[in-house]
Amino acid sequence: MNHQAFPQCHLLRWIPPVLLLLAVMLFAGSPALAQAPQKLSPDAVSMEDPGSELWRQIRQRGTSEPVGTSQVRSVESGVLINDLGERWAEFRMQELKHWGKYPLLLVIVILVVFYLLRGRVDIEGGLSGRMLHRFTHYERALHWVMASIFLFLGVTGLILLFGRSSLIPVFGKEVFSILASLSKEGHNLFGPLFAVSVVLMFFQFVRRNIYAKGDLSWLLKGGGFIGKGHVTGGFFNMGEKTWYWIFILVGAAVSISGMILLFPNFGQGRVIMGLSHVVHGIGSIVLMTIAIGHMYLGSIGSEGSLEAMKTGYVDYNWAAAHHDRWARECKDNNAVISPEQFAALIGEEPPRVSTGKPAVEVKS
Amino acid sequence: MIGEFIDGPLWYISSIVFVVAVVWRIIVILSFGRKKNLAKPRYSAGGGAMATILRRFFPYREFYEVSKFRIVAGYMFHIGLFALLFFAVPHIEFITSISGLSWAAMPHWAFILAAELSFFGLMYLFVFRLTNPVTRMLTTRGEYLGSVLVFVVMLTGCLALGRSHEFLRLFHLLSVELLLLYMPFSSLMHAFTFPFSRGFTGAVYHRRGLNI
Repeated sequence: MNHQAFPQCHLLRWIPPVLLLLAVMLFAGSPALAQAPQKLSPDAVSMEDPGSELWRQIRQRGTSEPVGTSQVRSVESGVLINDLGERWAEFRMQELKHWGKYPLLLVIVILVVFYLLRGRVDIEGGLSGRMLHRFTHYERALHWVMASIFLFLGVTGLILLFGRSSLIPVFGKEVFSILASLSKEGHNLFGPLFAVSVVLMFFQFVRRNIYAKGDLSWLLKGGGFIGKGHVTGGFFNMGEKTWYWIFILVGAAVSISGMILLFPNFGQGRVIMGLSHVVHGIGSIVLMTIAIGHMYLGSIGSEGSLEAMKTGYVDYNWAAAHHDRWARECKDNNAVISPEQFAALIGEEPPRVSTGKPAVEVKS
Repeated sequence: MIGEFIDGPLWYISSIVFVVAVVWRIIVILSFGRKKNLAKPRYSAGGGAMATILRRFFPYREFYEVSKFRIVAGYMFHIGLFALLFFAVPHIEFITSISGLSWAAMPHWAFILAAELSFFGLMYLFVFRLTNPVTRMLTTRGEYLGSVLVFVVMLTGCLALGRSHEFLRLFHLLSVELLLLYMPFSSLMHAFTFPFSRGFTGAVYHRRGLNI
């Protein structure tokens, strides 16, 4: 036998099945075959791919338990390919990145439109100048520390999630690379501080955020932003309480999932890491979306609100409008101070009085 | 071009200014002197100085009750910053490269913990300064600038932790150089002068028979 001819003959024997396979593949993709049941030619040769079963087992479709064995003793060392990893990557790259931006954009558009149509929600009767003590120094410091960390994590998180698609076209790859690197380091560093803030916020404010009788009427009147009419509220109204509980619960979920991602050396596998990432991404977007609304209402959206976190004191009329039950309680306890007393306490000029009208009387 | 300037001349200039100005200020403080006290001392001035230097690390109980968060935050910040400055791997490597000196670095988890403590403490104290009317009134612009500079130095250092970009390292070095140039002429000098201040107070009062 010719030594040169043998290999050629060997290869030639494979040509028909390969052509057959190509033909089957081509027809399999045709619309006609996609609609009609596939009919194989009587001459067709039935061949089973010897590798398909092997890859099916390696990919572990339909099971989350490792089926392989390895000398390496570590988490999921018996897994060669994790099928869930691909699904996680698809979720992150396609669904989370695509849908994640809409809530953030939507809430900004809604607030801009609302502000243009309704403007700032002013206090009924204007500012009286008489003040109530609302937050201690510790509470305000804790709030602003937490807010600063939250904003930093929000910005760096958005860079990490959307930066590749939105920043590279604007700044180029080199600048994005630097931004992504510092965002990753900063996000990882400040993440645990956010978790600590959530815990401290929980203990500091939980007692005043338990739902109470009368909160539901706040909800029915849309918090006073929809329509007219007085809304009743205690130290925190129902909207603030709901924001508090969302912040605590979703913040805890985001913090725990972030810790799982940040410290992968505690035995968690890739499935838990993937799920944590999903929880982290969705939870963060939920928090950021509501936080934008919170920032709006706490600043330009509502007259007198920012004072509470700036000086710790609020105008009596503001309290009567948004937290009438608490305002009444303060009045009964003689806790309302004059503009001069307030000025002496904070070391500034007496507060601005917008109308000069007396304080709004809270109905008993 | 700018990178070479930050890495070279600016580093040397800021280091020299820092060392010379700190030494000069300490010499000035020590050379103030005071009139000789002819009264018979009740207790040793030196012992009082040492005792006060150490005792002031522990807050008075009466003060602690009203300012415990600030005290805790202060310790978090200072201990964290000390650990970051002297026991972080990149800093030890840097000091070794210029002086040949070396010592054991803290592990990565300890670095992260120190950074967390330090940042939380500094941010809390900074916000407290802004929101408390008394501290806001007492705080000068220079002190705000000092706090911001320290924060920026810590932040840029931590953002460059990945050592992935030369830009981030230079940014950190630039902020350090600005701090070195500013520190000797600001209240941040308390890092060097606190033993003299405490010691002086303790010596004077202990000599009179008072334990403060």
